Amino acid sequence: MDSEIQGQIMEKFRQGFLARHQACRQWKKSGRGVMGCFYGLVPREVVHAAGFLPVQLLEERDARLEDKARLLPFLCGMSKNITGQIYEGRYEYLDGILVGTVCDTNRHVLDIWAHRKVVPYLRLLRTPSKADHAAWKFYAADLRRLARELEQMGGQEVTEKRLWESIELYNQNRILMERFRSSRNTLGISAQDALYVLASSLVMPVENHNELLRSLLQTPARAWDKKSTGPGILICAMNLNMAWDIIRLVEEYGGRVVADDFTINARYGISLVPRQEDPFLALAIGYLRRVPAPGLYSFQERAESLAQQMNSSGAQGLIYLVQLYCDAYAMEYAVLKEKFDLWGIPHMRLEAEDNSASIQQLNVRVQSFLESLI
Amino acid sequence: MQDASTTPPDLKSMVKKLSAGASYRRMLAASEQGRPICVASAAVPVEVLYAMDVYPVFPESLAAIAAGIRKADEFFEAARERGFSNSVCSYTRCGLGIAWTQKSAFGPIPEPDLFITDVSVCCLHVTWWAYLEEHFKKPTFYMDMPATDDPWDPEYVAYYEEQIRAMVGFIEEHTGCRLHMDRLKEAVSNSDLAGLYWKKILELRRHKPSPVSFRNLAGEILPLVTALGEKDCADFYWALYEAYKQQAAQGYSPAQGGERFRLIWNGIPIWHHLQVINYFEEKGANFVWEPYTALSWGNKTPTGRLDPEEPFRTLAQKYTNILTNMPLHRRFQYFDQAIRDYQVDGLVMFSNRSCRPQSIGQDEVVEMVREIHGLPVLIFEGDQADAEGFSLQEAKTRIDGFLEILQSSKRG
Repeated sequence: MDSEIQGQIMEKFRQGFLARHQACRQWKKSGRGVMGCFYGLVPREVVHAAGFLPVQLLEERDARLEDKARLLPFLCGMSKNITGQIYEGRYEYLDGILVGTVCDTNRHVLDIWAHRKVVPYLRLLRTPSKADHAAWKFYAADLRRLARELEQMGGQEVTEKRLWESIELYNQNRILMERFRSSRNTLGISAQDALYVLASSLVMPVENHNELLRSLLQTPARAWDKKSTGPGILICAMNLNMAWDIIRLVEEYGGRVVADDFTINARYGISLVPRQEDPFLALAIGYLRRVPAPGLYSFQERAESLAQQMNSSGAQGLIYLVQLYCDAYAMEYAVLKEKFDLWGIPHMRLEAEDNSASIQQLNVRVQSFLESLI
Repeated sequence: MQDASTTPPDLKSMVKKLSAGASYRRMLAASEQGRPICVASAAVPVEVLYAMDVYPVFPESLAAIAAGIRKADEFFEAARERGFSNSVCSYTRCGLGIAWTQKSAFGPIPEPDLFITDVSVCCLHVTWWAYLEEHFKKPTFYMDMPATDDPWDPEYVAYYEEQIRAMVGFIEEHTGCRLHMDRLKEAVSNSDLAGLYWKKILELRRHKPSPVSFRNLAGEILPLVTALGEKDCADFYWALYEAYKQQAAQGYSPAQGGERFRLIWNGIPIWHHLQVINYFEEKGANFVWEPYTALSWGNKTPTGRLDPEEPFRTLAQKYTNILTNMPLHRRFQYFDQAIRDYQVDGLVMFSNRSCRPQSIGQDEVVEMVREIHGLPVLIFEGDQADAEGFSLQEAKTRIDGFLEILQSSKRG
């Protein structure tokens, strides 16, 4: 019975992610706006306070999309895929897109989207790469401008009270996500299902996601459906579809993914936006260099948090999955590798494109890695 | 302006002073003299470093030089051994290889004292320098320049001006060097003259035929990176301008058999195969404008001059003016103007695997150029510093085909 309830809740997470476009269209019918966020450095709290639904732009496995994008071959598949989706009209419901720079590709595809006029409103956030008083002040001013712009687009007034309410909702989501991450093994939730919990958090209304998380965390602990007693793995990745594939490969060869680290997850799940006199300043402090994005976060802290996750989850090995041409991840891996080697953490980098053929080529390496951990 | 009554310095002796080899020797001398050595990225306000007696070393320049003389392989290999994917920018991989091996293409390099980077050019600089900081445990400063599509916004410029002042504080704290305003004004004044003569050299290319070879210019750009702020640098460009002016008056062209086609090159030069440019020249084609030379260097202020009396403000205006921080239609305006001003016959777009900011948007610019000017365009893919996979023969074949199209389009 309990597992049935848990199954029903998990299905809602799954549908929250899989049926995201339909849900957004329904949302629009209620007269409210939808704002795309490209990637996780966009402060969704401001968007929410203005009455828009913030929706992370996410990749969809479909080979035709990259062709549709007509972007350079050496750009990351994520940007090409999302561009293809936009051109194909899958995001026709968006009132706008906000871009928070995490890499050169995501910053500069914005230029092309602007040139092609793909959405009514396209906004590049001026996100500093530092976190000091000057940077906080500068960013807070930009977020204030963003709030005014969203109001002018038909959103509701972003009062301080409203913004604090939004901050509170997202802080709750971070706390609940952290609790979920630390208890998902005892709840008996598989790595593949856990990914739906994360993925849905990026596209669902935060109020609904919080409610689902609370319900899930109240379900009783249950034994893992252990098909495998093989080595536990921590997976670091960004691309959701590729991660699902690798999780399946690990399980296929007798391993278990006992912990995951997704940039997008960590971005919303690691630290809370602090209480300050000015909510915009609070967001600036909460986001700048507090989000474990490669290059925009301390490598030492990043490596230590991964090592700590390995310990707490009982993972014996770490798989670091890089989507081809993702400079940020490729660079970060090289930096982290030095520390993993120093600390004796067994790890393996996989680099592939987001398609089945590319992933399938990795199966021997995954198998060998798992065997090396036994 | 230099005093018109004075004679320009001798170009040959200036070249000797500022060549790639000379910049290496100057770095060793600076280290021996006890000057702090700073590993800096290309868009750091270098005038401030010279004014403070800090000697800058530029990994990107060292990478380009190493690639140019085919000595980059061991640096790439060092990066590969440390887990760097080949998809990562070749300047980054080569520059890190140089850092680990503690040598450049010319020989050993001194241990640096501090690191400074600027994130304006590309995001990788943050990660690259963070890695250096992490690995070498040296004081590191990040010149912050958030992405924007309005680099002229006064608030934005003011933020960067604040960054320059903070950089001064950082250098003073970690080196004991002090900034003296008269030295800074002098460095800005020298930089202004170098930038002014650079612009005048580029404008000589409006002449038919243009006396300037892009192949030569690719080397002659080096002091704008490595010696900006020094009097020698200003003198070098003065002498170079005078030499080109003379050649223009004589009707000299680097294009063999005369200048038949005037072209634009978009992107960083292919350092490992600069012969590509020679090949164009052999076939009577000459490059007369490039965003890389015209828009990435020199006095990029609204007035085209630097103001030594307002050194921080003027440097902030200069360094925030980044081409890739502009919307595509604004970037296209530069092409549009150059095509008219320089009477251009065709475009060569180097689709550079290593440099996303320079390459993204190329196709859209090409679309606009074709729509308005109907010019032939050659696009080819490669890498600025990593020769792997590059075939000169294949490039030549494509160039031949392109020149045939140019020829027929000229015949109308």
